[in-house]
Amino acid sequence: MNEAAAVAFEDVWFSYDGTNILNGVSFDIRPGRFAAMIGPNGAGKTTVLRLLLGSLRPARGRVRLFGAAPGSQDETIGYIPQRITVPRGFPLTVGEVVVMGRYGRIGLGRRPRQRDHEAARRALERVGLDHLETSPFGALSGGQQQRVLIARALAGEPHLLILDEPTAGLDPAARSDFYNLCCTLQRETPLTLLAASHDIEAVAHHADQVILLNHTVLATGSPHDVLHSPLLQEAYRFPERHHEPHHDGPGAAL
Amino acid sequence: MTDWLAYDFAQRALVAGVLVALMCAVLAFFVVLRRMAFVGAGISHAALGGVALGLITGVSPLVAAMAFSIIVAWAIGWISERGRITEETAVGILFPTTMAFGIAIISLSATYRQDLMAYLFGSMLAVRWTDLWLLFGLAGGTLAVLALFFKELVFVSIDPDAARAAKVPVTALRYLLLTVLAATIVASIKLVGVVLVSALLVIPAATGQVAARSMTGMLVISVISALIAVVVGLWLSWVSNLPSGATIVLLASALFFAAFAATAHSSASR
Repeated sequence: MNEAAAVAFEDVWFSYDGTNILNGVSFDIRPGRFAAMIGPNGAGKTTVLRLLLGSLRPARGRVRLFGAAPGSQDETIGYIPQRITVPRGFPLTVGEVVVMGRYGRIGLGRRPRQRDHEAARRALERVGLDHLETSPFGALSGGQQQRVLIARALAGEPHLLILDEPTAGLDPAARSDFYNLCCTLQRETPLTLLAASHDIEAVAHHADQVILLNHTVLATGSPHDVLHSPLLQEAYRFPERHHEPHHDGPGAAL
Repeated sequence: MTDWLAYDFAQRALVAGVLVALMCAVLAFFVVLRRMAFVGAGISHAALGGVALGLITGVSPLVAAMAFSIIVAWAIGWISERGRITEETAVGILFPTTMAFGIAIISLSATYRQDLMAYLFGSMLAVRWTDLWLLFGLAGGTLAVLALFFKELVFVSIDPDAARAAKVPVTALRYLLLTVLAATIVASIKLVGVVLVSALLVIPAATGQVAARSMTGMLVISVISALIAVVVGLWLSWVSNLPSGATIVLLASALFFAAFAATAHSSASR
């Protein structure tokens, strides 16, 4: 496996309560690529992401971020979850959420400086929400909250952006906007993206690389190759009529 | 109204009350943000086991309660971290077990039953000078930790995975918060009592939440409402001869409902 890879999984095994979640998972993502990880519910996508974040440790095998163990790499990692849970009515503003993306750079026990607030403001401008900086985060729509979380990740000027089902719960227009924004960011900055997604149609249009996961890597390669592979049907156990993923919309069926 | 402060014990109670109000009000911010109200209630009741051990063995009940509460707080964190049961369930197991342990030990000796009542419901007569020194240390440590790691604790509370990605030490901060929670509870026991201290770990921040539009505003209102509840509550306890814990908590609740009604009214009229 190439040490220069932004993300590298080398024969990674992980089990939980005696159940194998990942069985010898191996793949890598080159810097600057937009990789999408697809697979049915329970395939282990979130486990892969949590191993990358260092929240979990593999039972066997190696996980590497830019050649180092998660948490000890020099490069900055941004993470965008499906959502964050702030108690209803908690007075957390959009600006306060976004500046959290700078905390890794600010350091433990230090306060954000002017340049951190400016970076947060620039990130909000990039997602088109700078006018909402002082608004309560909880009062925003799902799509707006997702954009704020993107801004939070961008404020940290990440080298790798990890996204966990980033468009879950968004309407089609917001989903399209989201992926267009990701592609724009990838073009403008030396950014690597890894998104776990059920949105196969969007993945086909925007990603450079698709990883098909069902406890192990069934296929990895270009969207065309993976999404036309019979392994896709095997992974999702589609009925016969869904032979053409692009046209028949298996994404909608998921 | 100030004649009660002519007494030595009342002065000690007032100083202790101000320190307890500051600690509880700032920590309550995180208790509300992390939805840890039940954890607070659990650790405060568990402290009774430590108090009982201290009374029986001759060790300072507060020191024993401190050690016992920290062990229980870490046990809650460790058990729930294993992922087989939730934090709530871990509290549900440890809370009655440790409290029952305390009641059983104290019941063995009739000598300590009166002390038990003071620890359960608090008393302004109970605070001694030695307690005050311990309280100064605990308040200084707690407030310093919360001020130093405030931003990281907020981040970890709302999105631990993103915080971990930013190299914030999520697990260490979780245990630090549980330790500070245990320390604050023990510091508050003599004045407020184990039964009612959990209220001070929620109500001031809830008052701040309904009245404020920013985190700073919420913290400020939480501190002010806790200070009012404690200082006026102690005076009420003096003039009405009621347990200090009860008057303090009733006042804190009254402030919450007043803020709730005022903000509900202003929201409706907008």
